[in-house]
Amino acid sequence: MLDGLSSNATVAKIRALHGKMLTKENYKEMLTKRSVPEIAEYLAATPRYRETLKDIDPMTVHRGFLETLLEKDNFDAYIRLCEFQQLNKDRFFDFLIEKNEIECVLMLINSINTGVDRSYLNELPGYIIKHTRLDLLELSRAGDFNQLMKLLRGTPYHKPLVRVPLSDDGTVDYTECERRLRTQYYSNIISEAEKAFPDSQSEEVVRMVKADIDFRNMINAYRMKAFFGFSGEQIKAHQIKISNIGKKLDSYYSLETADQMLEWLCRNVIFTEVTDSALIEVMMQRDKFRRLEHRIYRSFNAPVVLYAFVQLCDFETSNITHIIEGIRYGVDPSYIENNILIC
Amino acid sequence: MGIEKMELVSLVGKMDELDRCLDKCCESGCFHIEPAFSSVATANGLTMLNEKNGYTAQLKAFERLASDLGIELKETDHSDYAPRTPEEFEQRAKHIGESFEEQNDLKKEAMQKISEMTGAITQINHLKGMNSDFKEIFSCKYVASRIGRLPTDNLEKLEYYDENFFFIPFETQDLFCWGMYFCPEAEKAIIDDLFRSMYFERIQLPDFVEGDSDEAVKRLTQEIANQQTVVDNCQKDIDIISQQAKEEILKAYSKLIYLHGTFELRKKVGFLSGKFYMKGFVPKKDKEKFSQLMQGFDSLTVTFMPPDTDANCTPPTILKNSRLTRPFRMLVEMYGLPNYDGFNPTAFVAVTYTLLFGIMFGDLGQGFLVVLLGLIVGKKINKDAGSIMKRCGFSSMIFGTLYGSVFGYEEVLDPVFEKIGIDFLPLKAFKETGFILITAVGIGVGLIILSMMINIYIGFKQKNYEKAIFGCNGIAGLVFYSSLAVGLVGTMMFDMKIMSTPFIIFLIVIPLVCIFCRVPFSIALKYKKFRLSADEEEKMTIGGFIVENFFEMFEFLLSYISNTMSFLRVGGFVLSHAGMMLVVMTLMDMVSATAQPFVLVIGNAFVMAMEGMIVAIQIIRLEFYEIFSRFNESDGVPFEPVGVNFFAQTE
Repeated sequence: MLDGLSSNATVAKIRALHGKMLTKENYKEMLTKRSVPEIAEYLAATPRYRETLKDIDPMTVHRGFLETLLEKDNFDAYIRLCEFQQLNKDRFFDFLIEKNEIECVLMLINSINTGVDRSYLNELPGYIIKHTRLDLLELSRAGDFNQLMKLLRGTPYHKPLVRVPLSDDGTVDYTECERRLRTQYYSNIISEAEKAFPDSQSEEVVRMVKADIDFRNMINAYRMKAFFGFSGEQIKAHQIKISNIGKKLDSYYSLETADQMLEWLCRNVIFTEVTDSALIEVMMQRDKFRRLEHRIYRSFNAPVVLYAFVQLCDFETSNITHIIEGIRYGVDPSYIENNILIC
Repeated sequence: MGIEKMELVSLVGKMDELDRCLDKCCESGCFHIEPAFSSVATANGLTMLNEKNGYTAQLKAFERLASDLGIELKETDHSDYAPRTPEEFEQRAKHIGESFEEQNDLKKEAMQKISEMTGAITQINHLKGMNSDFKEIFSCKYVASRIGRLPTDNLEKLEYYDENFFFIPFETQDLFCWGMYFCPEAEKAIIDDLFRSMYFERIQLPDFVEGDSDEAVKRLTQEIANQQTVVDNCQKDIDIISQQAKEEILKAYSKLIYLHGTFELRKKVGFLSGKFYMKGFVPKKDKEKFSQLMQGFDSLTVTFMPPDTDANCTPPTILKNSRLTRPFRMLVEMYGLPNYDGFNPTAFVAVTYTLLFGIMFGDLGQGFLVVLLGLIVGKKINKDAGSIMKRCGFSSMIFGTLYGSVFGYEEVLDPVFEKIGIDFLPLKAFKETGFILITAVGIGVGLIILSMMINIYIGFKQKNYEKAIFGCNGIAGLVFYSSLAVGLVGTMMFDMKIMSTPFIIFLIVIPLVCIFCRVPFSIALKYKKFRLSADEEEKMTIGGFIVENFFEMFEFLLSYISNTMSFLRVGGFVLSHAGMMLVVMTLMDMVSATAQPFVLVIGNAFVMAMEGMIVAIQIIRLEFYEIFSRFNESDGVPFEPVGVNFFAQTE
């Protein structure tokens, strides 16, 4: 069990790392660049990515590889933090490894469904291979869903996937697989937190994980209504369901139109009026961003601070990716600025 | 020394005069804008001008240009710069950008070649042992070969591919593995695609590279030098373009900042039937100046109204202070501005802060140094902070004289007082400990009573009877606290029997009952009604009322005691200062005569730095917790005249 005081050093270390993260000014400076090499050069000069990007040649680096390196940097930071005070003895701290495993399994399911050969192996992030309990490379040998199930036997991912019905053409419902895997993922980290940490600590962790689930559900529900016209019942059936959470969202799922959902989100989540529906996700993410930063500064619980930090790192990578994409396609910098998460 | 009086001003005019009107508002420097309409008004067809700011994109374009050309953006006079519309700015940016981009593309191309050739040299060095012509390797008929580097993390994946290729690693580093792969010529497209997906960075050997490795490296090095010359020439051209365009970019950017800023103000402007509606606050003293500026418009109507005319707008607060007390507004603002109807406590803070600092840090010599330091800080760092230091330094000098303390020498001034014939001075801290502590508490009692009186004044001004009469800081609280203080001091110190039954009933018990029942009493006085709760909808039972007020009373009484005792620290610091200087003097006695001046200087500097800071912080604490909490409501809105600030946003 993690002793509250013993993790203070990890909290301090995370705060120090957080202090190195890119700021609003960094993003603004990046927006003045004209090409990927310029962005790569800029990032390689920042204290945040100096070490990670020291061996790349900005003039020749591939955009995808640059993004992979940033993701690798975040993952390595997480591994280092977990090893720093041997926090990784608690299963809870495998949360990012498990998340990546799920992403890989989903990537493979998608690859099987679309029949695109090798795409799984091509996209598999090499840096996670040695950290996972799943043999991710061996999974690449799965040619269909049944073979995948055989390879997954004995792993935690077999049970949620085994009952997903297989269609005649050999494909499976990807969204259902995703829902089941993520439901199990969140249930696991909640139960691990409740098992491993004292009450006050686990309450804070669970509260944050539940907020994460609600956030994912709210965004998915809005997309289902706005882009696919799903009914309230259909939306509800596609949500991540964990006992005792998300009940307050029932009234949100049952709203008739996407506009009503938008208004509900403005009134109950972001507390700001948003007239442009395209901005609602950005606004919600900004709100989440602020809450996560608040956790980093206010909490003294290593699991809480680490969980928040990992998500902030994801936001940062997503911002950089947005900027790179925007610059590659010649998007107006002010438009990119409106769509990245800077607060 | 109060709060500046405001006027609410409404501006209505035709849309074609809006931009000019906003310019004038910015120019006035005294117009605090408010949103034109509340949401209720919006529903009646009045809308806010929530347009997209057309200058944002141009602002970014010029920022990008400045960054590319290495121009540091700074505010520049743009009065003679003609372009005004976003389209005109776009054209100018395009014009400047075109000449730059041509050179920049050439430079990038050359740099790209240098990078590739540098990679080629590294790779050729890996092939050094082959002793065969490169052309022969790369021109096989049935076998395709590629050289380059593969991310190390992806090496493990290679054996899981079924495709027909083999990879030979040359050198594995942290991030990359340098190597070469071979595959059948017929399948090279698929294999190349596979390696590309793993971010294999292929090194293309230029056509001119032939012969063995030594010869190839020599030719590549020569070509790198040629390309470097191209880069240098391009950079020279870019520098010339930069010099030529610098002035225009600075002017354009400054003007864009201004136009962008004024356009942003439109978000607070209302629109209906071709007319704009704008409102805000202007200080009463600037009313005439503002009216004059707004003349010369064809359609503009300017109407001045009392500040409380519109319930949706809160008048902003400007603190009016004399030169002597103005620096201390920094501390008031730190706590929070009082509201428009509130009380400006700056003068009160100025007097109490200076007084308390002097008492707690009394030393003639050190006070003098604080004054000198204040002069430097005021000139070099922060004017207000410097001024506060000067005032505190003077106070410290005065009290230092009373204590007879000069840089820790406590007897230096004794002959002076003897000569003048004042026998009760100087006040020796360690001989008069009791007197110092009692005086500190006395000062505290005085300041708390003064704070309560200010609260009563504000309460009556706001017609808030609970606050003014029945509250713990109102008349009831004042009577209770001061009676108790007088009673205790009289009984314990002067042996006077003043705590008689009528004294206790009328001056202690009845005020306590008033505080206990402050809510129903104030409602009865104001609305002639009986209600236990201030909230009309809340159903408060008598039991609930008693329990709630019992605990609140407990808290009030505790706060009277703790707040008063808190002032003991004032006396405590007098003793601590004297104690610390005594340590310095003792240390001086312990060292040789040569080292004594050093100990004196270092000791004084240490005491000044450490104690000076602690005292400054402790007084802020006393002001905020013990004094401000009794009367200051920091819910004021700062006065922010519309204008445009220059914020350069690039490197």
